[in-house]
Amino acid sequence: MENRVLLVAKDIDKRFGITHAVNNVSLTINAGEIRALIGENGSGKSTFSQMLCGIYTIGGGTFTLDGKELHCRNQVEANNEGVAIIVQEMGTLSGLTVAENIFLGHEEPFMHMGIKDTRAMNKEAQRLLNEYGFGRIKAGDMIDHYNFEDRKLVEIVKGTYMKPKILVIDETTTALSQNGRLELYKIMDAIRADGRSVIFISHDLNEVLTHTDTISILRDGEYIDTVKTKDMTEDDLKRLMVGREIGSAYYRTDYGEPISDEVVLSVKDVSVPGQISHVTFDLHKGEILGFGGLSECGMHEVGKAIFAASWDRSGSVTLADGTQINDIPTAIKHSIAYASKDRDNESIILNESIRNNVILPSIDDLANHGILSGKKLTAFADKYAKDMQTKMQNVGQFVSDLSGGNKQKVVLARWIGKGSDILVLDSPTRGIDVKVKQAIYALMADLRKQGKSIIMISEEIPELLGMADRIIVMKDGEFSGEFLRDPKLSEEDLIAKMV
Amino acid sequence: MSNTVKNEQEPSKLRTFLSSDTFKGMLPFIGLVVILVVMNILTDGKILTPKRLRLLMSQVYYPMIVATGVFFVMTLGSIDFTEGSTLGLASIVVSKLSFISIPLAILGGVLTGACIGAINGFFHVKFKLQSFIITICTMYLFRGVCAYMTTETAVPASAAIKALDQNWLKISVTVAVLIVAWFLFRFTRIGNDIKAVGSGETAARFSGVRTDRVKFLVFVAAGALTGLAAFVNVVKVGSITATAGNQLETQILISLVLGGLPITGGAKVRFSNIIVGTLMYTVLNNGLVMLGYESQTQQLIKGVIFLLFVALTIDRKALKVIK
Repeated sequence: MENRVLLVAKDIDKRFGITHAVNNVSLTINAGEIRALIGENGSGKSTFSQMLCGIYTIGGGTFTLDGKELHCRNQVEANNEGVAIIVQEMGTLSGLTVAENIFLGHEEPFMHMGIKDTRAMNKEAQRLLNEYGFGRIKAGDMIDHYNFEDRKLVEIVKGTYMKPKILVIDETTTALSQNGRLELYKIMDAIRADGRSVIFISHDLNEVLTHTDTISILRDGEYIDTVKTKDMTEDDLKRLMVGREIGSAYYRTDYGEPISDEVVLSVKDVSVPGQISHVTFDLHKGEILGFGGLSECGMHEVGKAIFAASWDRSGSVTLADGTQINDIPTAIKHSIAYASKDRDNESIILNESIRNNVILPSIDDLANHGILSGKKLTAFADKYAKDMQTKMQNVGQFVSDLSGGNKQKVVLARWIGKGSDILVLDSPTRGIDVKVKQAIYALMADLRKQGKSIIMISEEIPELLGMADRIIVMKDGEFSGEFLRDPKLSEEDLIAKMV
Repeated sequence: MSNTVKNEQEPSKLRTFLSSDTFKGMLPFIGLVVILVVMNILTDGKILTPKRLRLLMSQVYYPMIVATGVFFVMTLGSIDFTEGSTLGLASIVVSKLSFISIPLAILGGVLTGACIGAINGFFHVKFKLQSFIITICTMYLFRGVCAYMTTETAVPASAAIKALDQNWLKISVTVAVLIVAWFLFRFTRIGNDIKAVGSGETAARFSGVRTDRVKFLVFVAAGALTGLAAFVNVVKVGSITATAGNQLETQILISLVLGGLPITGGAKVRFSNIIVGTLMYTVLNNGLVMLGYESQTQQLIKGVIFLLFVALTIDRKALKVIK
């Protein structure tokens, strides 16, 4: 690492209404440094970096890059100043080609008297893609042909090809499979070697510890400290983020408990074209059944298929009492809950209050001869949202105002409120901080003790090893391995079946 | 030093209030009062005379019934442009059947409307077409049918139905529609489901809402209500010409938006939008007529007011197209 200062952030501040999202944060980043930015959900990491990149206006304070003060009004201006970002959610635009996405806002080199030279643009984009090792992505294709992960890879190219002085990677790795992550780490290392810098935002403390030089911690919008990565352990970081000691009981600690013989759900020969083929398994009472694999292995579709939310499903999903699950209302009525990986679109209604989100599946149970009482609904929502310790002003608050962790609490509150016996949780801790993660694991263990059955679909291997009674690994839409809970089971055992 | 910086960034109370949902919710009521006051001043107090008010009210009933149906469609985040042609066609059916029996005429009108609603709903749900596109197509289709049936002469209604032109009847029908709709909207699952679809269709489907069924039913109900409004219309006008219900769809759309209904639908709709909006539109319309503006000028003024209201009240967070 050189000792040249690249970026100085001074007294950066931002409010959203009454929320003080970023509170007078000052920090300095050197050239050739990979700086992690960590903190719980709502600690202000994303807001801070999005002000740097012109996505949000700067509420107060200044960013100085290479001695020059930044006043970016949008991402394109930020790019021109040498700042680029890869965002947490989808950052590519549908309806454009891969090449058009890569050069969005930087089309000038391909313009001849106002006319775009598509061939030259595609050629240049393809050259870049090949150079990054993503040659299988074709520059001339519509971006919509590609899945979430590939679109992230395109975004990485878009964010880095112009060699920004500083690259912000905001919670991107959760969308990537192991291979994608390795590609990203390589790119980060290359930027460092080139004397440029990276701001790396992640909840995965493990990757923070292995791939960064220094770590800055934010808590509730305030700057806490910057530390050298090599001096830190995962527990140190958790303590700094939360401000207190996190107990060691993070995952379940019990081993050797037998799985009940009682089958609560039978999945037989379920196929979804292009996604999964001939999936067959039983779920037992009081069992946490984990599903693991690379993000495109079909495991996410298994969750949808059980909940009858797949578009074109064949095969059967049958409950212990013989009920066939063929549509969502039947699934919900017969005590199946589903929390999607795509939380914002499929699990909750963003533009609605917490109250109306919590009551939605339970509405028939709450009605008295078909008539709803506002008071009763509010009391119901209030009870379960509070049981989940959702951070909110009241249940009338809109879900769109909540952080990722709190949104997930609302999702769980509605199913706990519904009293579902079979919970299908797809990526239950995706993009969620340590404290909420711990709460969710505790809840899952508790539900399991109550005799409820859980299907946990996860891209995080430690979470599968730590929580599941049984783990099914999938590859290319089919089962490739099955493991029982065992302290000797290692990540490598699972990965071997995934790839 | 840092304290003063913080204070400067504290948004002023007035600004916080002006951007709050409470204020946005009050805006239509304020608008109604403002329009009433302005019109009253411009017409030298003539608009608030008992005679004028009676006339004004007589123009409120059937648009309010129609607006109630469209309110549900717009809560879904959809739109319906067929009210005008539905009203025209249903009015013809009501008039013709009124010679046989009045209850049959009412039933005929409601069924005609419901059928048109069912056609809209069917294409919207089964073919996943945007309601915007379908209802524009069906609007032209049924407007054509309407014109065809009235080319020779206007369609007269029976004397019996014209004898029903009494305020108590029209008021009771309108109030009954509003009460039933309000009850469904506030106290039943269907009302809740409609809002849920408007706020987030995919998430609603994943929460157990039968989204397709809800959407279909709403279109049928909107059509049926327009059919019922056709009965009130026939009672009032007595004979149906090719222009019956002309421009009704835009009138309703403007009314609801003036009433504060977000055109994106969803969680922020209020039932009061129907009443406030219809009243506001009627006052505005009457005022402009009383002021002696030509119809072109009236349209121009209405257009400007509509534009201003949409710009002021649209929820930019709910960025999406009309379904």
